Amino acid sequence: MDSPAANAAFAKQIGVTFPLLSDMNRRMLKSYGILKGYDVQNETYEWALRANIVIDKQGIIQLIDEGDSAVDPNSALTVCTTLHKKSTAK
Amino acid sequence: MKRVLILGLLLAAVIAAPPLARQAQNPHVAKMSLKVGDAAPDFTLLSDQWKTVKLSDYRGKKNVFLAVYVLAFTGG
Repeated sequence: MDSPAANAAFAKQIGVTFPLLSDMNRRMLKSYGILKGYDVQNETYEWALRANIVIDKQGIIQLIDEGDSAVDPNSALTVCTTLHKKSTAK
Repeated sequence: MKRVLILGLLLAAVIAAPPLARQAQNPHVAKMSLKVGDAAPDFTLLSDQWKTVKLSDYRGKKNVFLAVYVLAFTGG
């Protein structure tokens, strides 16, 4: 998994404005069930699924896209927009 | 002020990983155990600024968009 230093270089390269996080010990990936193991020639390799997860202010998961469906972020963005509208309507 | 915090989780294996579909045999089934409506497990991770970021720090403040990207940096 990429280190904070590698993420910092990438953040600078593409100019991101949000935190890029490292899960070096894979604890978060395991707790979310995102880590997947593959057996290749009697060795097991662990690999993370691609995933988009939207969590609301109350800490409740509002959307999960995983695997191929996570390549397109539009459904996640739609949920974000809906949450934003709800919070500004109050 | 942005209401939605986007957290990019950039993940790349440090070891040579198998080309996923072709060589992988007997992949362990990994379906996310969580579902919509569940409480998101808290986590503490290091950001690219070497600061700890805790999910629960945003509770009651911001919505969080968590994007888990594999090999985004390596082009793999």
